[in-house]
Amino acid sequence: MKSSPLYLFFSMLLALSFMLASCGAPTAAPAPVATQALATEAPQAAAEAETITVIFPKHEADLSGAFEASIREFEKQSGIKVELIQSDWDSVANRILPEISTGGSAYDVVEFDNGWVAEWCGAGWATPLNDFMSAGYTEGMIPGLVDLFSCPDGKLYGIVWNNDTRFFYFNAEKLAAAGFNEPPKTWDEFKQMSLAAKEKGAVPYGMAPFWNQEWSLGNEFHFWTYAFGGQIVDDKGCFLFNKDPNTLAALQYMMDSLKDGVSNPAGMTYNQAASQDAFLKGDSLFMPQGIAGLMAYAKDPSVSKVDGQIKVGLVPGVKAGMSAALTLPEAYAIPSKSEHKEAAWKFIEFMTSKETNKVLAQEIGVLPIWVDLYADPDLTAKYPFWADFQAQLQTARGLSKLTWYGDFVDISTAEVHKALAGEQTAQQALDNMATGLSQFECKP
Amino acid sequence: MTKPRLRSLFDDPRILGLLLVVPAMLAILGVVLFPMFNSLWLSLQQHDLSRPQENAFIWFRNYIDLLQDPRYLNSLQATFKFSLFSVLIELTLGVAIAITLNQNFRGRGFVRGLMILPWAMPSIVNAAMWKWIYNADYGALNALLSQLHIISNYRIWLAEPVTAMTLIILANVWKETPFTVILALAALQTIPDDLYEASRVDGATEWQTFLRITLPLIMPVLMIAGLLQFIWGFQTFELIFIVTGGGPFSSTEMTNLRVYATTFRSLRFGYGAAMAYLTSLIIFIPAVVYIRTAYRKVVEA
Repeated sequence: MKSSPLYLFFSMLLALSFMLASCGAPTAAPAPVATQALATEAPQAAAEAETITVIFPKHEADLSGAFEASIREFEKQSGIKVELIQSDWDSVANRILPEISTGGSAYDVVEFDNGWVAEWCGAGWATPLNDFMSAGYTEGMIPGLVDLFSCPDGKLYGIVWNNDTRFFYFNAEKLAAAGFNEPPKTWDEFKQMSLAAKEKGAVPYGMAPFWNQEWSLGNEFHFWTYAFGGQIVDDKGCFLFNKDPNTLAALQYMMDSLKDGVSNPAGMTYNQAASQDAFLKGDSLFMPQGIAGLMAYAKDPSVSKVDGQIKVGLVPGVKAGMSAALTLPEAYAIPSKSEHKEAAWKFIEFMTSKETNKVLAQEIGVLPIWVDLYADPDLTAKYPFWADFQAQLQTARGLSKLTWYGDFVDISTAEVHKALAGEQTAQQALDNMATGLSQFECKP
Repeated sequence: MTKPRLRSLFDDPRILGLLLVVPAMLAILGVVLFPMFNSLWLSLQQHDLSRPQENAFIWFRNYIDLLQDPRYLNSLQATFKFSLFSVLIELTLGVAIAITLNQNFRGRGFVRGLMILPWAMPSIVNAAMWKWIYNADYGALNALLSQLHIISNYRIWLAEPVTAMTLIILANVWKETPFTVILALAALQTIPDDLYEASRVDGATEWQTFLRITLPLIMPVLMIAGLLQFIWGFQTFELIFIVTGGGPFSSTEMTNLRVYATTFRSLRFGYGAAMAYLTSLIIFIPAVVYIRTAYRKVVEA
C-alpha cells in the first residue's frame, strides 16, 4: 500500500500541536457556568471591556444568587466584565492552590482563606492592597477581621467578603424543659445542663460535635483551645499546645464529653453539616460553633424542627465572664501574577463597600464587616438577634497563622481524633502532635 | 532527484512503520514519560510551595525520610490490608458468581447484565451511596440490622478502626467483583464440556471436578484479575476520601490520600512526589516478581 507523504506530514503536525497544547502553562481559566449566563446578558460594549476572572466559594446563605446580582451591578457601573466561578469551598481551593502556586495568571480575584494567610505571605502569591486602597479605607471595618489578612510586612493582602464568625446557639425551649432559664456561663454548667436535659428526656445529647477526622476538626481544635483560654503557638510559631495546661484541659473536656454522654458519639463521624442538622432537628441542646445564618435555616421547615426555639448566647468559659469564639473569615485577594490588578481592585472595592455589604446583609443575612451596620435600623429590624452577636464578635479569634498550617491540620486532626476515640490520653495526643510537627517548630 | 528518493523511502515498510508510530511516540513522550521524569526530578528536591526560600536539591533525603515517616508507613500498611482482603474476597465471590451465571437458567442474560451494574457505576456515586448506607443516624445498614433484630441500638460503624476498614473493603468488593465475574465467566466458557463429561464418567464429585478441572483452567485469568485488582486497590481514592476521609484516626488512610494531603493540602510537592514514586515502586517490584514466578508457572503449565 502506498501512503501519501502529505498524510504523514499532517499526522506529525497534529501530534506536534497536541504536544504543544499539553505543555501550555499556566492554564487558562475554564469557562464557568455563571459566566455563560452573564455573557448572554452583557451589553454589546462588553466585547471591548476589560475582563476579570473571579473565583470564590458560594456563600452558604446565598440561595437567591445575591452575590451574582451584586456582581452584575458592578459590571453595569464599572464597565468591567466579570467571569465568575463559584462552587463549594473544597473545589475552589483545589483550583486556586495549584494555579497560584505554579505562577498562573488565570484568576484576577481569588478566595483568600484565613488558613492560607501565612503560606501566601511566605510565598508572595498575593498583591499588597495598600497600593490601591485610599487612606483610611479599612477604618470602620471590624478591626479583628482586617488584621487577620495582613502579612508580617505590615501590608494588607485581603479584604473580607465573608465574616464567618461562629456563635453559641442553644435550644431555649428544651433548656427550659430541663429546668434552666439561662444558657450556661461555664463549661461545667454546660455539662450539668446537658446531662439534666438528657435525664429529663428533652434531648438525646447536649451537643453533636463535628469531630470527623477532616479539615474542620482543625477548626474545632482551635475553638475549644480558645474557649479554654489556651494557646496553640506563639508569635514565632513555637509550640505552646503541648505545654499549655489550658489546651490540655480543652482536649480533655472534649474527650470527657464523649465519655460522659454530653456529646453524641456519632459526632466522631460528623462533618459540620451533620452536626447542624442534628441541632436543627432538635436532637441536641447546644450548638457551640454555629454559623451566623443558622437562624435563617431554623425557619425553614424542610430542614428544621426548632423554629422559634433557638437563641444565641455567649460561648461559655472556664469561669463566668470568660468567652472566646472562632472566626473563619474569607477575603478577596489579587494574585501577584494577575494582569488586571486595577480592575480587580475596583471589583473588591465595590463588593466590600458598606453599600454592597448592606444589600447582601438585607438580602441573605450576610454578617457585615462594617461596624456601623450592626446598628443600622433596617438591619436590626430584620435581624434582632444580631444584638446578641455583638458581644461575641469582640472575642473572636482567627486560626493560627502558620506557613505549615496544612501540616498542622493533617497531624493534629489524626492525633486529636485518636484521643477522642479513647486510644490515647490528651497529653499523649499533644506530645505526638509536637513530635510529628517537630520540623516546623519555631517557623512561623 | 529528491522526489523519487523520498518515494522510495516511503515504499520501505520498515521506515514507513517507523514514521507512522512517531506521532504516537511523541504523544506518549509528552503525556507519560515527561511527567514521569519531571516528577522523579521533583522527588529529589525539597519543593515546598509555601516556603520557597527553603527549596533545594536534596538527593534522596525525601525517600529516607519517608521510610521513617510513621504516617506514610501506616498508610502503606492500611493500603496493603485493604488491597489484599479486597482481592481475596473479590476472587472467591467472583468465581462463585461466575459458576452460577454459567449455568443454564431462565433470565440468565438479564442477570448477567445486572451483574455489571456496580462496576459501571461512577466511583464517586458509589462512594456517596455507601456513605449514606453506613450513616450512624439514618443509614440503611443500621435500619436493616435493627429490623432484623441483629442489633438493638444503631451503631456508629465508621468510628471504629476495624469496622471502618471492613466496611470500606466490602464497599470496594461490591463495586469491583463484577470485573472478576466477567473474566472468570469468559474463562469458564472456554472449558470443553467433554472434560466435565469425562469426570462424571470417572465418578468425580462436584468439588473434585471444580478443584481438578475448573480451577486450574481458569487460574491464569484469575491471576491476571487478582494482580489488576491488587494494583487498583492501591489506586483507590474516592471511596476512602468520601466514606471515611481516612479516619478513624488514620486507620483507613491509604497512600493516595496521604499523597493528596501532602501535596495539595500541605503544598509539599517534593515530598509528595517522592511518596508517589516510592509507592509505585512498592507495587511494581512485587508485581514483576509475581509475573516472573507464580504467574509464568501457571500460564506455562
